[in-house]
Amino acid sequence: MNRKIIINPLTRISGFMEIDVTVENNRVVDAKTKGNLFRGFEQMMVGRKPFDAVYFTQRICGICSAAHSMASSIALEDALNITPMEQGRYLRDIIHCCEYLQNHIRHFYQYTVPDFVRMEQNTLLASDHEDFRLPKTVNDRIAKHYFDSLPISRSAHQMLAVLGGKAPHNHGVFIGGVTTQATAEKVVTLDSLLDDIIAFIDDKMIPDVYEIAHYYPEYFQIGGGYGNLLSYGAFDHYGELGTLYVDPLVYAMNTIEAFDESKIKEKIDYSWFQAPADTYNPDSLMPVPDQNKQKAYSWVKAPRYNGLPFEVGPLARLILSGNYQNRVSAMDRTIARALEAKKITAIMKTLLSQIIPDVDVQKKYEVPESGEGRGLVDTTRGALGHWLKIKDKKLSFYQIITPSTWDFSTKDDEGYRGVAEEALIGTPIQNPDKPAEIGRILRSFDPCMSCATHVYRPGKQVKTIKVF
Amino acid sequence: MEGYILPPETLTNEAIASRLKNEVNEQIRQGLIKKRNLVYLELNGCSGNIISLLNGQNPDFEYTLNSMVNLRYSNSLMAAEGEQAIEQLMEVLDEDYILAVEGAVALKNDGLYNVIGRWKGEPFTGLQAAQMLGEKASHILAVGACATHGGVSAAKPNPSESVGLQTVLPDRNIIKLTGCPVNPDWFLGTLAHILLYGEPETDNLNRPLMFYSTLIHDRCPRRPFFDRGIFAEKLGDKTCLFKLGCRGPVTRVDCPTRQWNGHVNWPVGASTPCIGCASFGFPDAMEPFVSYDTTRIVQDE
Repeated sequence: MNRKIIINPLTRISGFMEIDVTVENNRVVDAKTKGNLFRGFEQMMVGRKPFDAVYFTQRICGICSAAHSMASSIALEDALNITPMEQGRYLRDIIHCCEYLQNHIRHFYQYTVPDFVRMEQNTLLASDHEDFRLPKTVNDRIAKHYFDSLPISRSAHQMLAVLGGKAPHNHGVFIGGVTTQATAEKVVTLDSLLDDIIAFIDDKMIPDVYEIAHYYPEYFQIGGGYGNLLSYGAFDHYGELGTLYVDPLVYAMNTIEAFDESKIKEKIDYSWFQAPADTYNPDSLMPVPDQNKQKAYSWVKAPRYNGLPFEVGPLARLILSGNYQNRVSAMDRTIARALEAKKITAIMKTLLSQIIPDVDVQKKYEVPESGEGRGLVDTTRGALGHWLKIKDKKLSFYQIITPSTWDFSTKDDEGYRGVAEEALIGTPIQNPDKPAEIGRILRSFDPCMSCATHVYRPGKQVKTIKVF
Repeated sequence: MEGYILPPETLTNEAIASRLKNEVNEQIRQGLIKKRNLVYLELNGCSGNIISLLNGQNPDFEYTLNSMVNLRYSNSLMAAEGEQAIEQLMEVLDEDYILAVEGAVALKNDGLYNVIGRWKGEPFTGLQAAQMLGEKASHILAVGACATHGGVSAAKPNPSESVGLQTVLPDRNIIKLTGCPVNPDWFLGTLAHILLYGEPETDNLNRPLMFYSTLIHDRCPRRPFFDRGIFAEKLGDKTCLFKLGCRGPVTRVDCPTRQWNGHVNWPVGASTPCIGCASFGFPDAMEPFVSYDTTRIVQDE
């Protein structure tokens, strides 16, 4: 028997998403992921002053705003031909690390834990499925950690604000690195806050994720997908320090190789966009919205590398950097998030130890008449790219490919589904009336539809039973 | 402590506060005091305001959830998903509730640019939700720039045809908490005022005076530099940022004294100009955010 399961909204994500899944004999045979909001940042950027991109593009997303300030600053540095001082990079990367911590801690406790742990403290947290397996003492301990984690993720944002003025939507990340200068007092404040976060990750977050994994072992077998992994590099290529985490690398067909930007193409065959070509390099075309496009089923674009879909994010980075065994599944992805949080704290310790107080890295920058630049950087959820062009001292072109566009793309003209769609295929659904599996698998990617900025269009639905 | 006459232990401030708290909790438990319902709608925006809300301290989110309100709906936080989540939203319609909305209302294509769920098999748009919930709410808070006036979601050329909440609820009194994002104190403080004393006093643009009454410029710690004519030439300089385009002189809010993230810092503290995110014209009327040449004649295109 064929059943269609539609979940909308998928809660505990950033932004709005609908999931359409077809189930045959209790197994997923088809899946579509659709973003449910559209704001059109790329069109908004055209005509604006180039420097404003740093603060403007942050407003794409409230949970990973520093990520966009990173990518736009790097793109502007490329366009202005500026190499930031190492001290500027250190401080900027510390700010970026704070966002990783805030995001990973919140994603695990506020977004993932309610999937596996019965939360009785508040009706808001009451689940609508029955698959809870933790023994009561373990369950209650992790449920308590849901609340214990709040001051911890909060203090990660507090650290970010020490250097960046405020969070979300910081003011510190900019061309040249940062606007602020470190002082001994700031370094000590950061180090002290960091120690509490490290203790929390060691004592609670990592044990909690392994505890959940122990009671939900089949999630190591499902939610894998293609297994192709990609990173633009994170905390890499420092002059003195080398690479602290991961170089720009890709993994496909049992081979790791260096990342090559020219192999990125975006496809819009099944997306509600119109352009002179359905496959293009990200710096060549800015597709325009077109809701009447036939055969398209979503407004999520489809980035491909070397013609293939690639997964991005913490698991991809851990595997590419040799910090995790080569397995790809929903549970591995969730564990990777906690392990990466630990890794990030170690990077921060190293960076903090390199800080020289009172170094001013800012200059008075001049906007060129024309130019172009790209900012490719791995952020919390994975590979983020900003491509921009300047004409008559204003932005004339802006293209953004976010991590969630990689993970939640549509299918393409070659027949490849998006990474998350593929991850759902074959998943056994225990109870199609209350399908816990779909949300758990999708949330393992930490989807961010605010970033993916899509449009929803009601398509013609197959006449099937709808289960919510 | 010898020689001091101490009050009986049960009369210390801590004891009184603790007794009151326990009393209130007990009365809530027994149903004698009802916590007010809060519906938190996220519409066309970046969800930055709910993230900012989680950053709140004293009150923090935990206190808000446990002692101030029954949070009945939040896309970012609730465990239920799919139509079950929307059902929980609909149940509130028959009860008393305070409505908080972040994000703009996207009007394009009858609101289909921002679908927040499905209801009875049909797409349920942000536009429908704003009107349906807004009509019956006892109090309405527009949280952040997108909700108060469209904000970044409505930045030109406004591809989603986004508007502020008031446009689709013209007859309702909406408390407007500008900012991108809102400072958690501005939201939680206003909420506390409603719970304890009713709606707070607002200015002619419906912003609570307790937060939005004074220009940033008037309380800026760098004001002495302005008064002496000492101006920064680039970001990172420690003097007055006016000539880099600081919007402190036109932005009414208490950032200089309240600051952000547990009072640790604020944009001017990071040696950057205020970009006027708490002004109604944000972002388009506040641009350029950063300029190294503000002695120029600004020509509007």
